[in-house]
Amino acid sequence: MPAHELDTALREHLPSLRRFARWLARDPHAADDLVQAALERAITRWHSRHDDQALRPWLFAIVYRQFLDAQRRSRRYAGLLSRLGLAGNEHQPSAEREFVARSALEAMQRLPVEQRSLLLWVSVEGLSYQDVADILEVPIGTVMSRLSRARQALRRLSEGETPGPALRLLK
Amino acid sequence: MNIPSEHDLHAYVDGRLDAARRADVEAWLARHPESAEELRAWQRDAQQLRAALAGDTLHAQPGLDPARLRRGLTRKRNARYAMAAAIVLSIGVGGLGGWQARTWSQSADAASLQARALPMADAIAAHRLFAVRHDLQPDRTDGAGDLQAWLDTHFHAPMRLPDLSVAGFRPSGVRMLSTEQGAAALVVYADPSGNAISFYIRPPGPQRHLLPRGDRRDGDLFAQYWSRGDYNYAMVSRGDSANVVRRALAGAI
Repeated sequence: MPAHELDTALREHLPSLRRFARWLARDPHAADDLVQAALERAITRWHSRHDDQALRPWLFAIVYRQFLDAQRRSRRYAGLLSRLGLAGNEHQPSAEREFVARSALEAMQRLPVEQRSLLLWVSVEGLSYQDVADILEVPIGTVMSRLSRARQALRRLSEGETPGPALRLLK
Repeated sequence: MNIPSEHDLHAYVDGRLDAARRADVEAWLARHPESAEELRAWQRDAQQLRAALAGDTLHAQPGLDPARLRRGLTRKRNARYAMAAAIVLSIGVGGLGGWQARTWSQSADAASLQARALPMADAIAAHRLFAVRHDLQPDRTDGAGDLQAWLDTHFHAPMRLPDLSVAGFRPSGVRMLSTEQGAAALVVYADPSGNAISFYIRPPGPQRHLLPRGDRRDGDLFAQYWSRGDYNYAMVSRGDSANVVRRALAGAI
């Protein structure tokens, strides 16, 4: 595929990738940084991709891996800061954060990254179970059991932590 | 029917079963109201999630355009290659003159030393960097023979581009470069099988360091160089194409 065709294909998937990145990263700027890093990787790695690999799951996999890598790096950094006694106060609850945490979407944000990703890929983006298995590099049976756990976890969150008033407020 | 598999249940929630299989699952669910209730809840959650994310409007973000990112990546990569080439060049120069820290810190000295020691080394470096790798990223491609016009615009009375068409080489693009002595340009000729020959023009610098006509071999490349008017010139080709260049230059200079 020549460069301009790849660009057209990437452009077509850009909204999905940005939505996924936001679903992972929360902060819109961090999300767009994530998408940029992922696109750059896709462009430079294009030739190492297997021809039979579908483009969309391949792109989702890149965003997912980049996010996990970044998370790992920032945890290591946070660990370093706390060993040096410089830890920030990001874990202290603020009034604003408490308020935001009430919305249904925010409740879902408390799910582990993999469960969040699974739910988005399957329920929102409509990826096939096989695509998801390819992204996570696990057998399809494993995808099914992880999907069950993710759906149960989401259920618990929505039951326990989605107060009606917050939802009504949005109307 | 048997108990539906986990796969069937999820496929039911996601609407991915064919009609027959769906009827089977529904029949089973009719007899297992607790499971039916759970699956309905999963479906509601999925709908909520879709609704919540669909409302997430994304503002256009020109910085994320793939073509733009690609250009940025190419610039970064070329800068890295150019840096590498400059380092290789400096090491070569340092090696010739013995180890001299001076040539590292005083780049003007290095440039003149380099000009004396290795005539038009920058032409060969530029050819390796852009022509051999087929990565010119040209400032101008040859539309209707307008590379000459481009040269005429950017340089004062440059010579005519030599005609290599007898050997099948045609000018394909030009790239502006910078040297210690000022702006230079590399015109790349290509033949149908992808071989490249470069035409390089650069100013001689403040000391008007003009070159006697000469040539030299550098690895598998062959550089022929000369001066004319205000500029130094070189043409770089593979050793086995040196005669193509020699014949063309015989008529031109």
